[in-house]
Amino acid sequence: MSASGDMSSGYSFNIHGPPAWADNFCDCLETSLMNLDFSPEDEAFRAEARDWLHDNVPREERPPSDDGMRAFDLAWQKLQYDGGWAGVSWPEEYGGRGLGLTRQLIWYEEYARAGAPNAELLFVGCNHAAPTIMTWGTDEQKQYHLPRILKGEVAWCQGFSEPNNGSDLGGLRCRAVVDGDHLVVNGSKIWTSSAHLADWQELLVRTDTVAPKHKGISWVICDMNTPGIELRPILIMTAPGHHHFNQVFYNNVRIPLSNVVGPLNEGWKVAMSTLGFERGTASMSEQIRYNVVVEKLVEMARERFGASALEHDEIGARLAQLRAESAAVRAMTYSIASRAAGGQPPGSEASLMRAFFSQLQQRIRRIALDVIGEDALELPDTNDPWIRPYLRSYSNTIAAGTSEIQRNIIGERVLGLPR
Amino acid sequence: MHLLPTNEQVQIVDTVAAFLSNLAPVERLRPDKHGQIGNPDASLWPQLGELGFLGLGLAEDDGGIGLGAVEEALVFREYGRNLVSTEIFGITLGAHLAAESNLNTASEIVAGNIRVGIANPRGAITSENGLSASFHLMEAGEAELIVVLTPDGPHLLPASAFEDGEDCPGMDSHNLLHRATLRNARPLSSAASSNAHRSRALLLSAAYASGLSKAALDMAVDYAKMREQFGKVIGSFQAVKHKCADMAIAAEVASCQVDFASVVVAENRPDALYHATAAKLVAVDAALKNGATNIQVHGAIGFTAETDAHVYLKRAHTIDVLGGDLRKTRASMMGQAAPA
Repeated sequence: MSASGDMSSGYSFNIHGPPAWADNFCDCLETSLMNLDFSPEDEAFRAEARDWLHDNVPREERPPSDDGMRAFDLAWQKLQYDGGWAGVSWPEEYGGRGLGLTRQLIWYEEYARAGAPNAELLFVGCNHAAPTIMTWGTDEQKQYHLPRILKGEVAWCQGFSEPNNGSDLGGLRCRAVVDGDHLVVNGSKIWTSSAHLADWQELLVRTDTVAPKHKGISWVICDMNTPGIELRPILIMTAPGHHHFNQVFYNNVRIPLSNVVGPLNEGWKVAMSTLGFERGTASMSEQIRYNVVVEKLVEMARERFGASALEHDEIGARLAQLRAESAAVRAMTYSIASRAAGGQPPGSEASLMRAFFSQLQQRIRRIALDVIGEDALELPDTNDPWIRPYLRSYSNTIAAGTSEIQRNIIGERVLGLPR
Repeated sequence: MHLLPTNEQVQIVDTVAAFLSNLAPVERLRPDKHGQIGNPDASLWPQLGELGFLGLGLAEDDGGIGLGAVEEALVFREYGRNLVSTEIFGITLGAHLAAESNLNTASEIVAGNIRVGIANPRGAITSENGLSASFHLMEAGEAELIVVLTPDGPHLLPASAFEDGEDCPGMDSHNLLHRATLRNARPLSSAASSNAHRSRALLLSAAYASGLSKAALDMAVDYAKMREQFGKVIGSFQAVKHKCADMAIAAEVASCQVDFASVVVAENRPDALYHATAAKLVAVDAALKNGATNIQVHGAIGFTAETDAHVYLKRAHTIDVLGGDLRKTRASMMGQAAPA
């Protein structure tokens, strides 16, 4: 799942293939036979990762919001960086380890197994901004931003959706006018997750009002401390007072032209490569983590109802199907990783998986309430692995392209049905 | 770790797909005006045998090709797409059982010279002094041998062990059905490694069901691109487009888990049974849902016997019950430990 609450979506899917840097990550396959073997080097890497995680995963609970959450997520990212685990598949020149996608997958598997925290404040920086800057950025942009993202020094947010442009992202109206060597931005963005905790924003603005709607957009790096930016907090449905979203207002906000990523007015193309990435490999760790979540539920259900009841009750039947579907998500993840490792761009299977996974997450979160029973009415103050995540799961089929938009994309791009 | 088929595997799939589209197109199942019972695929077996497809997973000493579960699953997906007679389960599983028990019949089975039906239990089985239960025999009219699909795995028996055979019209009218009984019958095959056979049976059912789900998807999408209402093709309406997208998702989920499980089974890993069980759960679910949605996308014509929409749904129900339906398979899933 994307940590971003941004509900924007492109209508295009993956029209430009994977980011160019993904080529560097491709494994050299030792064998082309279908297999699930990991090489001795991979297994050594796994053991090393497991040991490090065992010793370093934070024992304290992740604060649910605000400054405590920001400090926690940044500190955990820095700890991973210092241990050499922050950018397993990032190129070495940007501070990563330059290892292949297989190693990245192994890291995510061990990360899930260790119950390491889901530091979602860093998702936009690590999985949107960084791959975009790697692909489209200038040397200066790369050298400044990539190490800061990887080391856990900064948090990023996403400025895509607008009050009147959610699913119809391409119609966005937040205006930017060139004035000397700056852009001057006026307008508003909405559903911006954690804008109040972010240092930087990936911002889509309209830089040409005459061109066709997809030809007049630019992708800009916005410093959230620039004068003229104001935030309106938007509380979300997970718990009373939970400030997660923001509406962001821009009043003559001056952004250096050197912060435009990719060519001026080519921001749609730039943004689509980022969304394509999110729908491909970026959510791998989440996909793997859900196998662990399902097993926790099976364990809880066994304790509550007894092992034999699970083989007969309706709840056992649902859990069995969820086990099978989580296994299938892992199989889909492996299949996508195999394709990427073989140098093939993520294709239709990535959009099919994303659409399936977002709905599966909701089914898994929903059954938790039936396993818990009446006590599900209680909202624990701390240590709440089930109730808030359940309520939060309603965003899974909205964020980063609603299920309906996903089905349009599948229908049109994968199956070739007319618009 | 690698989950894409090799060039050689793609070739195998292409060859069997071409063979089936020539000699076993789905249109062969269109009923004539008198209706049709049974599946006209017996003539395929010697030809498939000669091409080596019936013995893909058997050792060369047993008359096979010496490949494994991955290739078998890939080919069973094509059998599902073309609704090849369920006797293919009898032949494939029966050959493995015969080979493992050193019965001389293995090489004759994979040559397509011995007919092997299947038997699926109706209710409980007792196995104290041999197997005793009531069964549905499938495609067993001329069978010499029968593979009994129990929840614990398949067993091979002579057809003569079955008593009280009686004709029984089938809902899946292309799948010849009889009722029959076993009383204290001893299987020909030993049950030394029944978990391996059980995993293979689950995997091949899943692969077949995955093929059904893909074929139903393809049929629905083709129709949605062609049929016009309100001056537009119906596939441009989201109500229909989104149904097709859901079918595509279900088919992809099934296909990926079948691939994954086929490797786990081929490598004889400890979690083979778990992943084969998972494969059956997602693949039969996909075949049933896509079979139903395909009929709905077609509208009234989908409800007739003049299109093939109904045959995918009916065959999905047949595959569902083989060796235990979704309800029983889910119970079995909850009785297993999750892989480490």
